[in-house]
Formats: sequence, C-alpha cells, structure tokens
Amino acid sequence: MSIGFWGASRRVFDLSLGEMLWSRRTIFMALVVGGPVVLALIVRALDMFGMSALRVNGRAVGGIGIFGVMIWMLFLRFIVPVLAVFYGTALMADEVEDKTLTYLFTRPIPRGAVLVGKYLAYVACTMLVVLPAVMLVYFLVVPFREVPGTFTSLVTDLGLLGLGLAVYGAVFAFVGAFFKRPLVLGLVFTFGWEPTVMVLPGYLKQFTIAYYLQALVPHAMPSEGITSLLQGFFRETPPMAASLAWLGTFAIVFLWLATRAVERREYVLEQ
Amino acid sequence: MSKKTRYFVLVSGAILAVGLGTGLVASYMGLPVSVLSSAAGPDELQYVPQDAAVVAYANVRDVMNSEFRQRFRKMEPPSQERDEFEQKTGLDIERDIDSVVAAFMPAAEGVTDSPERAAVVLARGRFEAARLEALALEHGGAVEDYKGKRLLTHLDKDPADGTMAVGFVEADLVALGGIEAVKRAIDAAADNRNVMSNNELMRLVADLDNSNAWAVGRFDALARQARLPSEVQSQLPTVSWFSASGHVNGGVSGILKAEARDEASAQNLRDVVRGFLAMARLQAGSRPGMQQMVDSLQLSGEGTTVALAFSIPSEFFDALESMARQKQGNRP
Repeated sequence: MSIGFWGASRRVFDLSLGEMLWSRRTIFMALVVGGPVVLALIVRALDMFGMSALRVNGRAVGGIGIFGVMIWMLFLRFIVPVLAVFYGTALMADEVEDKTLTYLFTRPIPRGAVLVGKYLAYVACTMLVVLPAVMLVYFLVVPFREVPGTFTSLVTDLGLLGLGLAVYGAVFAFVGAFFKRPLVLGLVFTFGWEPTVMVLPGYLKQFTIAYYLQALVPHAMPSEGITSLLQGFFRETPPMAASLAWLGTFAIVFLWLATRAVERREYVLEQ
Repeated sequence: MSKKTRYFVLVSGAILAVGLGTGLVASYMGLPVSVLSSAAGPDELQYVPQDAAVVAYANVRDVMNSEFRQRFRKMEPPSQERDEFEQKTGLDIERDIDSVVAAFMPAAEGVTDSPERAAVVLARGRFEAARLEALALEHGGAVEDYKGKRLLTHLDKDPADGTMAVGFVEADLVALGGIEAVKRAIDAAADNRNVMSNNELMRLVADLDNSNAWAVGRFDALARQARLPSEVQSQLPTVSWFSASGHVNGGVSGILKAEARDEASAQNLRDVVRGFLAMARLQAGSRPGMQQMVDSLQLSGEGTTVALAFSIPSEFFDALESMARQKQGNRP
C-alpha cells in the first residue's frame, strides 16, 4: 500500500526524531548547548555574591546585555550553524554510511519524502534542545525586574534561532544530499565563506544566511576585535520583511533542491 | 515515537511554555518595579513629584573626595566669593554637602513653564538652619511654615522669576527652588505620591549601576526645553527616554543610554553611532591619549535601547595636566 508524500514524510519524521534525539550526536549537541546554560549559572552565581560576570570599562554589564552577547557570540554565530552543519549534512549521509538507506528506499514511499521527514525531525530535534536552553539562559541571566522590558527581545530571539536552524538546515541538507564531502563543505561555508564576506564591502554578503539572519537580531552587535569593527563599518541592514522573505526562499528552494537531488541520485553503498 | 522521546518533547515544551507564560504575565500585567525589587535610587526621591520628567543625582562627597577632583583642585585659583559665601552661610559646599538630587518638572505641552514650579533641588548635608534663617530675613526674605516644615522665601528681583524658597524638609535635607516646586516636594513625600511610583522612570533608575552621578528622564522634555527650531527637532532621532550615569574617581567612566520609540529607530541610531565610532577610531590613529579614550567607547543595546559606554582613564588627564603645565611654562 503506498501513502502520499506528506504521510510518508510524517512516518519518517516519527522514526527519525527518536533516532536523532538518542544518537551519539546528541551528546555533542548537549555539550554545545549545555555550555551557555553552565555559563548562565556561573553568571547568576556571581551575581548572587554581588560580583559581575562581564565588565566593560570597569562597569558591570546588565543581565540583558550579557544575554545579548550570548545570543550573538554563542548561539547565532556558533551553535546554530554548527548544529545545522552536523545534523543537516548527515541526514542522508548517515543512512549511506550505516548502509541502511536501502531499507528506506525499498519502501513504497517517494524518496524525497525520506529527506523531508528527516529534515523536519532535525528541525524539531534541534529546536527542542536549543530553544529551552535559550529560555533557561534568559531567566538565569536577566533579572526578573528586567523581564517586562525585554521579553519581546526573547521572543524575537527564539523565533530567529528557530528560523536560523530551519534555513541553515535546509542548505546543509542539500549539501549533504548533493556533494560527496558535505561536512567539509559545510564547515568551509560556515567558518570560511560567511565570516569572510560579512566583513567585506560589496554585495557578496547577500549570498550568506548570516546577512539576513543578523538583520533580525534585536540586540546590538558586540563590538569586540577587528572583525566586529570591520563588520560594523561595512554593515548594511536589509529591511526585516526582505530578510524574512529571503530566509523563507532559501529554506524552500534548498529543501526542494535537496529532495530533487535525493530522488535523482544513484546511491552506491560500499560493501 | 517512543515513550522516552515523548517525555523529552513534553519536558522541552513545558520549559518553553512556562518561560513564555511567565514573560507574558510579567510584560502585560505591568508588574511595578517595587514588586520585583527593592526601591532603587536615593531616599531623596520620595520628595520628587510624580510628574518629574528629568531626575539627576550626584554623590557630592564621593566626587569631592575623588582623585579626579583633587587633581583639579590643585589647579584652581583661590576664590574670594566662595570664602565670603562660607562666612555668611556657614556652608562649605565641598565639606558640608553629601549629595544632591535635582528634578525638573516641565509644564504640559502648550502651557508656559512657571519658574516657581519647574525645578527643585534636594541637598543632603549639614546646614545651620538658624544662621540661614537670619541671613534670609536680613536680605528681605520671609519665613513660613508649610505642613510642619520651615520655609525661607524670597521674591526674586526679576518678578518673572517668582518667589524662590528653601525648605528644611529633614534635619539634614533641604529643598531649593521655586516656592511651588518646594511645596510640591513636601506634598510628594507627605502624600506618598512621588516619582517612586513612576514605574518607567524608576525602571531607568533601577538599571543604574553604583554610579556617583546620574541623570534619567524623558528626552522630549529636554528637547522642548532646549527650544530647538522645529526643523532641527524633527530631525532628532525618535528617542523617548535617556539615562546617563558616570563614576568619577581617578578617571571618569560612564554610560549613556537612550530608549528609542521603536526597534527600527533604535537600529538606525545604533548604526549612526557605530559609524561615528568607526570614524573616531580611524581619526584617533596614532595619538595614544585619544586612542585610549576612543577604544574605551563601547556600543551596546538591544531592542529599543542604545547604550554607549566610555571611560576616560587618569592617564588622559595626566596628559592634559602636563600640556597645561607646558603652556604655563612657555608664557613669558
């Protein structure tokens, strides 16, 4: 009995979510996401003892300032792209490596549905880990009296991190489905291409995800080091609507390209 | 989906739901600052009327004892007027004043400001009330009681400035200003209807970090008082609130904060400031004093907030001092 594309995707999603959550890769994700939570605990502990975790020019930085720095430096520039690279590029590659792809492809379901189901499982899995971690960090770092004034920033942060995971994930799902060494390519894109073109003048930065994602961040960009100085100098901020439209387009186009690649590619499993 | 996975999804979802729910309640139920933390700011704020648009504070004792003040004191010429003032009033501003709070209460838009009610200054320190009273009477002043507080009043030479008053509101606290402003200060404390129940302003005060001088307030009140041409006013960024705080010791460090009306205005303002900072860094070039100062400028802020922190190290003033000495040495 054959089922429709979305029905098949849902079955693959159900199967993959558990696999992803309890895989060895989750230990890596727990370490990456647990870091900011541990840092936030330290910040809170220091605050309770009347000390300040972050000082600028000898002056203590407020809770929301520290939270903003953590969103920029840890989540946006590191955790989101890294999780997307490791999970996104492995969506199909893991099945090839484990030689289990045959079991999925011999089912009476469209091949593209396998990728879409796995992609949705990746989005759910990473969001279920990253977003609660951001919530914990926020309530540990930001004093309760500052919550009313900063809550909209938190909601924006959660939304843009979710969007970032979805868009980067779609791009790396395509990279994983199309290229032979997807992890290397993904890391080069994340830590080579994006940081480089973001500090250069010109239009090249429009070919990055970070350009549109950073335009949505409600916190000021931390001005540390020469990279931030250059980025601040050449920074252009696209309008919010344009950023959202481009990010949405990237997600849809790359996911479609990834499904086409999976449907057309002939996988040869090494014996 | 296995049981383990389902539990994980439930726990993650619960953390998100509880966090979002708490934030929503805190944001939209309008929890006052006093519920969430102990009252911020100095005790004198209980004498500041609720409708104050700008409040400023200076810990005079800290500033006077600072290395910064001592450095400039050496360079000051002797002042005869200051000595005369001390002889007449028995008040040495450097020694006898501990702290000062100033509040500015502009009239509503379209209403002419009255100097009698526009501003009040609250000074805490050691005052010789009897000596000041005698001095006031000697100079044509009058003494009256208002709600059990002694007021010294004096009609200004220019009638447009109205009657000025000094109110002894506590043993070590005086209120100075127009008669109406001083009376309103006494009312504010007596009726407990003071700036401490102005949540927006107190939120800014609560954000200040152990500074020995600060000012917070509504930006429109300042801009209106500056009487800028309408063309210039329309070009001003849409800043609704501002705060400035500083710590004076060997050097001077501080932070300037502005709250824009919306996130887009704040983003624009941040971009403009960031551009100026980049330009200033390039201009500072190889001048070590300037470079140190420009390097200390740090832009931050999130949402509708824009903040610029600065620090002028004591070395900068050392350089200024040596330049001043050099100039004096070059004079014939």
